[in-house]
Amino acid sequence: MTESSPAKPGPVFDWFLFLAVALVATAVVRALAFTPYEIAQGAAQKIYYIHVPAALSAYLALGIVAVMSVMFLWLHDPRADRLALAAAEVGLLFTTVVLVTGPLWAKPIWGTWWSWDMRLNLTMFLWFLTAAYLVLRGAVDDEAMRARFCAVLGILAALLIPFIHLSVYLFRTMHPEPIVLQPGPPKLPAEMLYTWILGVVAFAVLCVALIRARYRLEVNRDA
Amino acid sequence: MPDNRAYFIAAYVLAGVLFGGYIASLWWRSRK
Repeated sequence: MTESSPAKPGPVFDWFLFLAVALVATAVVRALAFTPYEIAQGAAQKIYYIHVPAALSAYLALGIVAVMSVMFLWLHDPRADRLALAAAEVGLLFTTVVLVTGPLWAKPIWGTWWSWDMRLNLTMFLWFLTAAYLVLRGAVDDEAMRARFCAVLGILAALLIPFIHLSVYLFRTMHPEPIVLQPGPPKLPAEMLYTWILGVVAFAVLCVALIRARYRLEVNRDA
Repeated sequence: MPDNRAYFIAAYVLAGVLFGGYIASLWWRSRK
């Protein structure tokens, strides 16, 4: 593995993270106070404005893990390995948010916290694989070997993402099909759609800001 | 309209705790 450590890592907490937190706060206030209730599901439907953006951000973070893992295997650049680590940790956070908010929607709407349904199972497997990625990092002492093993696991974990997204079409499932990310026009009124878009953008910015902060923490540790 | 505000509040609070906890962990780990 080649040596590389940026000379002057930036601060872990900076304007970008504060901007991301402010954006998420704006999205939450809009969802809570300025978006109408859905008549059939009631207040529980508003969980949708954090559940789906968290899922898309988890895909983003774990997609970055896969791309950086490929980059590491190709170039053997430790910066790619550090970025993959940062993205995996943040990906696990967002996947945890998905797995916590989902059952809180399911209980009042489906009448059960959990169903052994393919979308839910695959998301749980993705959580376990991401957790395994982080556990593996702590289990291998040799840096080059650790980075190589983790890169392979990071790529394999990300292969689940398209299956998770398409699982509602490929299998009989209770999970709702995509309302916006599907070929037809969005099946949401404009006020709800704008709240959802704001949530997706805010969570994506938060995801990038957290990965950036975690990456800088790792650089600071290695410097 | 069903009254299920408790679930919706719990979801937002728990998500806030998870994100806040992670940011706090970054701060904790970044202390010299």
